[in-house]
Amino acid sequence: MGRLGWLRTVLLCLGIVGLVLLLGGGAGSLHAQAPTVVRYWLWLDDPTEPMFDQLVKEFNANHPGIKVEYQLVPLSEYHDKLVTALAAGSGPDAGRFKDWWLGEFVKLTALEPLANSIAKWVGRGDVIENLWNTGKITTAGPVYMMPHQFITFYLYYRKDWFTQAGLKPPATFDDFLAAATKLTDSAKNQYGFGLRGGAGGQDQWLAFMVAGGARMVDAQGKVVINSPEAVKVNQWYIDLFRTHKVAPLSAPTDAYAQVLGAFQAGTTAMMAHHVGSSVLVTQKLGVANVGVLPIPAADPAKPATMATMSGNVVFAASKQKEAAFSFISWLSETTPMDKWSGSRQGQLPVLKSVARLPRYTENTFFKVSLDGANYAIAWPPLPGVGYVSAQAWQANMQRALLGQISSKDMLDEIAKALQR
Amino acid sequence: MRSPRRSSAKASRGNRRGRTWVLPLFLLSPALALLLGIVAYPIARAIWLSFHRLEILRPDLTQYVALDNYRGLLQDPVIRIALQNSVVWVVGVVVFQCLGGLVGALILNRRFPGRAMVRGLALIPWATPSVLVALMWTWMLDGNYGLVNDLLVKAGILSRFQPWLAQPWSALPAVMLADVWQGIPFFAVMLLAALQAIPEDLFEAARIDGASPWRVFRHITLPLLLPTILITTMLRMIWTANYMDLIMIMTGGGPGYSSLTIPLHAYYMAYKRLDFGYGATIAIVQVAILAGAIVAYLRQLRSHEVMVQ
Amino acid sequence: MRRRSLRAAWGAVKLWVPLGAWLTFVLAPYVWMFITSIKPPTELYTKTVRYWPGQPTFEGYRLLMETTPFLIYMRNSGVVAISTCAVALVVAMAAAYCFSRIPFRGKGVLLFGFLVTQLFPSVLLVLPLFLIMRSLGILNTPPALILAHSTFAVPFSTWMLTGFFNAIPRELDEAATIDGCNRLQIFRYVLLPLSAPGVAAALTYIFIYSWNEFIYALTFTADLRARTLPVGLQTFMGEFIIRWDLLTAGGVITALPIVFFFMLVQRQLIAGLTAGAVKG
Repeated sequence: MGRLGWLRTVLLCLGIVGLVLLLGGGAGSLHAQAPTVVRYWLWLDDPTEPMFDQLVKEFNANHPGIKVEYQLVPLSEYHDKLVTALAAGSGPDAGRFKDWWLGEFVKLTALEPLANSIAKWVGRGDVIENLWNTGKITTAGPVYMMPHQFITFYLYYRKDWFTQAGLKPPATFDDFLAAATKLTDSAKNQYGFGLRGGAGGQDQWLAFMVAGGARMVDAQGKVVINSPEAVKVNQWYIDLFRTHKVAPLSAPTDAYAQVLGAFQAGTTAMMAHHVGSSVLVTQKLGVANVGVLPIPAADPAKPATMATMSGNVVFAASKQKEAAFSFISWLSETTPMDKWSGSRQGQLPVLKSVARLPRYTENTFFKVSLDGANYAIAWPPLPGVGYVSAQAWQANMQRALLGQISSKDMLDEIAKALQR
Repeated sequence: MRSPRRSSAKASRGNRRGRTWVLPLFLLSPALALLLGIVAYPIARAIWLSFHRLEILRPDLTQYVALDNYRGLLQDPVIRIALQNSVVWVVGVVVFQCLGGLVGALILNRRFPGRAMVRGLALIPWATPSVLVALMWTWMLDGNYGLVNDLLVKAGILSRFQPWLAQPWSALPAVMLADVWQGIPFFAVMLLAALQAIPEDLFEAARIDGASPWRVFRHITLPLLLPTILITTMLRMIWTANYMDLIMIMTGGGPGYSSLTIPLHAYYMAYKRLDFGYGATIAIVQVAILAGAIVAYLRQLRSHEVMVQ
Repeated sequence: MRRRSLRAAWGAVKLWVPLGAWLTFVLAPYVWMFITSIKPPTELYTKTVRYWPGQPTFEGYRLLMETTPFLIYMRNSGVVAISTCAVALVVAMAAAYCFSRIPFRGKGVLLFGFLVTQLFPSVLLVLPLFLIMRSLGILNTPPALILAHSTFAVPFSTWMLTGFFNAIPRELDEAATIDGCNRLQIFRYVLLPLSAPGVAAALTYIFIYSWNEFIYALTFTADLRARTLPVGLQTFMGEFIIRWDLLTAGGVITALPIVFFFMLVQRQLIAGLTAGAVKG
């Protein structure tokens, strides 16, 4: 009966071990009931950095009536987990948020308008003026999202390759195409531009679209992404891959890892991205070899680039709205803002006081980004933007890049998705 | 259903006839409680959802739309592509997992030094978390510095690197390769377990009779393994039909829709377009198709007395 | 003399060549993941494929242990997986015995019903399950995952075990009955030992499923009290920073407990278990 004895022992052991771990692991979390608990969700680029944990401890220490408990959620799952939790009535009180989802969530009445709270907030004068708009649905309407960290797109380029080929850094679309063509040598697996057709590529695509003179919506808020001008700019973008072949063959499905990897490996000469990757890029290639430029414009008199904001929101279902707001507004005050922007997770600070600091003004990458903020355009706050940025743009861009649909078809599909 | 075997079995258990429902109920109650209590509600809700247009957080806007979602499905051009991809995905992946697993089971059944460790190692594809399987295969299949391309070029099979995941005709097969890799140990373990039930004497006798290994396999091993193969394959197909992790991470359903499968499409509709009603509808249609396929499959098996009821 | 050693050599080739080829395919990506985990970050993206790091480093592993709660994730994963194994196996064995050995009306329908629950994608079931877990008050605790994982593991294991029980001839039951055994004893002394390979396979399946399950783990856990390895690993992928060192090191380690678990369990997969059982 050795067989049976074995199984019985295994099951017994499993049971005991499981029970012990369960009891031991589940052991107590008795909260002090006195302070108001604010539940805050966020994603972090590098969870091993203690920056945010320290910020929370500092806040809790300075605000004895409030206790912030945070939950770290991977960005790729953030939106979905939020939807599930809110739908079940178990959402957080406040959370980090992206402007992609603003229209969607406001339509669902999931976000609390912050106008009154902001009016009473001491730090409001310090925020770069036009950044408030990233948190609004209409220019006249209330702010739903507190600005916190943003980025504007710029262009990395290989200074060494450009010098070697005798090229000037490109300032116009034509310059850009000429430089990319000159630096492309498919036999050596070298390409001019790391076009990103895969996940997340919609941001850089929008940067080029607005730089080319196209707009998502007109002044009245009507969707014009499929206007004839926009179709032409989109065609130019598609042609980079299809006709001029200045992008690697893998471009249609290249996501961030592939595009960054290609630039770091010396496969591409130019990469559109933002300050979030500046450390990684210079680490690998060396500061001397990497330059940064504003996104070239079709018409140099009308420069444009794309900006996207990661802000903070208070959820409408929260029972601790005031306490929640005091936390998120604290995050947008000078010292916490500087700590965050200066860390590994750092992006552009939204405060004038912080943006003036030498740490940022003397860093080329921050400088070019902040300059771009003057004429940057963000995704419109339409409910359909969430869907477009998560799937509709990707599927249709890829089909267009592969020649399955035309530029106009692609933009029609996106227009349709935006207006849903 | 009324086979002679059954009635004789019944006859030999004469005394308990009156209370034949007590024991089954007792034994099945935990499983039933689990399924009814935990799974039935979500399933019922999914069905309910398919008849509604749900606005998350806005119960006031949620409306009953009868068969609108289903009608929309018939007119959805993407559905046809997704269905096609799903069929290729499920059948292709499971067939090759089964073959790879069968080879593995036969090898791991033999006696050799270090077998315990090799058997442990054989589990690694199945033991690796899906996110890493996806990331590693994406890297290995990369069109610019991927391992697979490098080896194929060095071996002279390819003249230049291929962007496997960016071409509509190779994207789905590439993800299928990763899934086949991940699933081989599953079949290897199941078939290895089934191999143990084949008595050694049968092999001995065949060997004495001078049968070649192929004949032994064809006439002894395979027929005796067939019941397990068929059941395991069916279960695996069901599971694979709903498995979208690898596709989501490796290609996101792209390029375009060339690797989009039904569950991924349902997910995008529900969580990205926030149309839970339509997402539920797509899922239910798949359930119906799968259920139909299973019924037909099981009927075939029963007629060959594979699952002795 | 020569013939025998030639035959032996050929026998060795017939074993080691297929074994080697099969193992190479099975292990290559994992080995690649290991190699990636010991490459310094500067060597990760290179123009030509580098097969071996110029300066191997175990820094990723050190950082994984010291700067992340990896071991806590592993503890949670262990608790959930082991408990799911225990719960699901017991429930499935009872149900499988019933389906295999007890005739009753509606058996086919019920068995089919078990299968139907597997047909739904978990993405669809997540929200209603979340509501159930919340009303049971077990969110963010291991029992939530144990329950959720069991809903998937039980039907599948039941089907598998039913198949394995069915393969054991009823003549053995009858012989035991004649010898005076009741149902429980038949189960303990006849079915269980003879289906040990099947039970081992079922255990393996449940353990691996639970260990690597992601979507329920993501949705039902909030922090270190219950968060498991797959979710933890996902946090190493940020918006603009992908910690390949932590990810691959984590991936390498996560697979190992299963390998060791199976090295123990696989002892049940030994031929000769059932040989002679019919005659005996």
